[in-house]
Amino acid sequence: MLFLQVIVGGLLLGAIYALFSSGLTLIWGMMNFINFAHGEFVMLGMYAALLVVVWLNGGPAVFGLAAAIALFVLGVIIYSSLIRHVMRGPMLAQILSTFGLALLLRYTAFFIFSANFVSLPQNSLSGTVDIGGILMPLAQLVAGIIAIALTIALHFMLTRTTIGSKLLAVSEDRNAAMLMGIKPNRMQALAWGLSAGAAGIAGALMAISYPWSPSVGETFGLTAFVVVALGGFGSVPGALYAGLIIGLIQAVSAFWLGPIYKDIVVYALFVALLWLRPQGLMGKA
Amino acid sequence: MLLEAQAVSKAFGNFRAVSDADISVDTGEIIGLIGPNGAGKSTFFNCLAGDATPTGGRIIFADQDVTNASPEAHARLGIGRTFQVPATFEDMSVLDNVMVGAFLRHPHRNDAREHALRTLELTGLKAQAHQGARSLGTPGRKRLEIARVLATDPRLMLLDEALAGLTPTELQDAIKLVRRIHEMGVTLVIVEHIMEVIMTLTRRVLVFNQGHVIASGKPEDVVKDETVITAYLGHGHRRRRGDA
Amino acid sequence: MTKTPAFRSKILVLSVCLLIFPLVFSDAFYRDIGVTVILAAISASAWNIVGGYAGQVSVGHSMFYGIGAYTPLLFYQLWGWSPMVGIPIGIILSIVLAIIVGTPTFRLTGHYFSMATIAVAELIRIFTGTWDFVGAAIGLQGPATARGWWDLTFRGELPYYYIFLGVLAVLLYVTYAVEQRKFGYYLRAIKTGERAARSLGVPVRQTKIKALMLSAAFTSIAGSLYSIKTGFIDPESGFGILVSVQMVIIAALGGAGTLFGPLLGAIILVPLQTATNTWFGGGGSGLTYIFYGGIIVLIARFEPGGLFELWDRIAPARWRRSHAA
Repeated sequence: MLFLQVIVGGLLLGAIYALFSSGLTLIWGMMNFINFAHGEFVMLGMYAALLVVVWLNGGPAVFGLAAAIALFVLGVIIYSSLIRHVMRGPMLAQILSTFGLALLLRYTAFFIFSANFVSLPQNSLSGTVDIGGILMPLAQLVAGIIAIALTIALHFMLTRTTIGSKLLAVSEDRNAAMLMGIKPNRMQALAWGLSAGAAGIAGALMAISYPWSPSVGETFGLTAFVVVALGGFGSVPGALYAGLIIGLIQAVSAFWLGPIYKDIVVYALFVALLWLRPQGLMGKA
Repeated sequence: MLLEAQAVSKAFGNFRAVSDADISVDTGEIIGLIGPNGAGKSTFFNCLAGDATPTGGRIIFADQDVTNASPEAHARLGIGRTFQVPATFEDMSVLDNVMVGAFLRHPHRNDAREHALRTLELTGLKAQAHQGARSLGTPGRKRLEIARVLATDPRLMLLDEALAGLTPTELQDAIKLVRRIHEMGVTLVIVEHIMEVIMTLTRRVLVFNQGHVIASGKPEDVVKDETVITAYLGHGHRRRRGDA
Repeated sequence: MTKTPAFRSKILVLSVCLLIFPLVFSDAFYRDIGVTVILAAISASAWNIVGGYAGQVSVGHSMFYGIGAYTPLLFYQLWGWSPMVGIPIGIILSIVLAIIVGTPTFRLTGHYFSMATIAVAELIRIFTGTWDFVGAAIGLQGPATARGWWDLTFRGELPYYYIFLGVLAVLLYVTYAVEQRKFGYYLRAIKTGERAARSLGVPVRQTKIKALMLSAAFTSIAGSLYSIKTGFIDPESGFGILVSVQMVIIAALGGAGTLFGPLLGAIILVPLQTATNTWFGGGGSGLTYIFYGGIIVLIARFEPGGLFELWDRIAPARWRRSHAA
């Protein structure tokens, strides 16, 4: 029974991994670009939630939305002021740009919030739920379900709506899209907004149940990368499956081997993936 | 038979860019590859160059099966190519660009440099040797690409629209250059849209449409071929033919 | 860059300045900065081979630095040998690691390699922190007092300065030799246009791996020099992400892909870092890294070629022509 609980818990966390990783895979699929600061977006989402709670006494719905909007705006700003310009440049500039950004965001957070771990105070989602003998914290359950729903919603948005097809058109063939009257810059800015927004809201969801500090961005960034590598670069459904799998593996490893292994497992999995199956489960290499 | 492609196909998922294309090139020939845009000639071209791996068929160069060979292996065997959108090394000088090519057969720096300078002389770029590749206009870049590939001492050169976008004078110079290269003993396969180039330079032409080779033969015969004209102009032209 | 008279005289002036620096500025404070500058120049120049010339951006180069830093002290602490023994061992291990990391990742796009370097460096750091054999979180220490010259434990800074300077000179010479040869041309071709390079017969993957191996070897030496001088190493100072970041930012600031860019970057950044650490106080490491992050972003956004390229752009045409390669 305890083991089943571990599994469910892992899957629920994995759902949140899937949500923020789908943002990363969207950018990769569209622009062949890796955002090294993606983990920091998640971390900032967590702090955004904290600020809303502390200043406005907002509940989960409020701070979830706030994190999503704040990060969406940040994503668009970062695209317009930085990414758009380095896209045309050498690889060094592209990699340095988001790598430097990650440092900037991370250490600014350290400076403002200090290195102490914080957590959100109790809110409406406290308490546990009993599902068939498995005891789950309500917060984790709700967060996980919302995360899955949002990831699926993102996928549907990309594949079933007009704006989604415009985004995909730009990723397929930028020039052809321009000839059809689609503005690639706008679409790419939108993609960055969505990507950051997804990370932000995922952060807020995680903040409900887990303590954090500015240092978590680095691990989340790598987790996102592992999820995207496993699920296939550019594939949102792939990110969903891979996120769940990673969450599961992580929970089981921590249970069997000890909590320190939580992070080691993720890094080791990534390294193994590189050697064995770089194209992931579902995507193109 | 220097180069032979047998029933080459290239599919991207469900889309067959090239279906059952054949080509045979003898040493010393100049072959033209023409066809409307999207007809599959560039993809076929990439297969010949090793940039794309065919999903069906075989490609044989100098009795060696190169169907799955990498672009590097192609170059070492003696197949060189230029790119439709010039891919010169922008950050390097004209001379350094050609030296990268020269190093293939001349591993020592001084030999490579001499060979590169000779190649620059041949292609009329010697004066710009120390300029940055970036400072050349598009015609200059195309010429540089040709020089760079030439420095690898290829037996077969694949030119991908290397003469597009030139002024009439530049075009004549370019045609002379291609002829000079041919006289040096290089076999050529040329993808072109410019009829003058095809008519004056090539002895044999292959016409692509929708992934298939729809006609092949001498240039003057091929341009009169019904199927070829229909491919370019569509079926509507037949109704208008009465005016000719 | 060929051996024009102007170039040679500049090298001469630079060499003389570097040689007499610690004699002119004999205060321990300045000498210490000098040593740190040279060491930073060594690791940044080593990174430069694969990151600057070949354009393969490693952001986890500390994996090689840490190996080089641990092996000398390991051999000392375990068997009482001179730390010097550990230097070649570190080099070999780093080269092996370079092959292991490069072989699968260089098949794929550049981003894979960059991410892989972070992951591997972090994995090694975490692992080292739990492995008692190498001191776990506490780390290792070197000889407190010298048993002989071979312990390389000197009282003053001066011997270290000249040893490091010698290593830097060797590294820069090797880099220069690479620059002039086929290998160097191929590296630059790969950086500028991999697809075109392939079409010219450049064996892209092998060339990248070779560059990584060469870079790893010298980075390992830099790590060894560091731990021998400091007499101490732990997972953070050996394999930490900030070690990697510093190499990258110093090389990029001065000019990645240029011979003297990393040295220039070190000369500017190391004293600056010392100054900001003093201004911002002990806990100022946070601010220093905000500063670093900001600089990296600015370099990436406005001048990826670093200061050397900036100079190239604003210098008068006449000066540039007289330096044409």
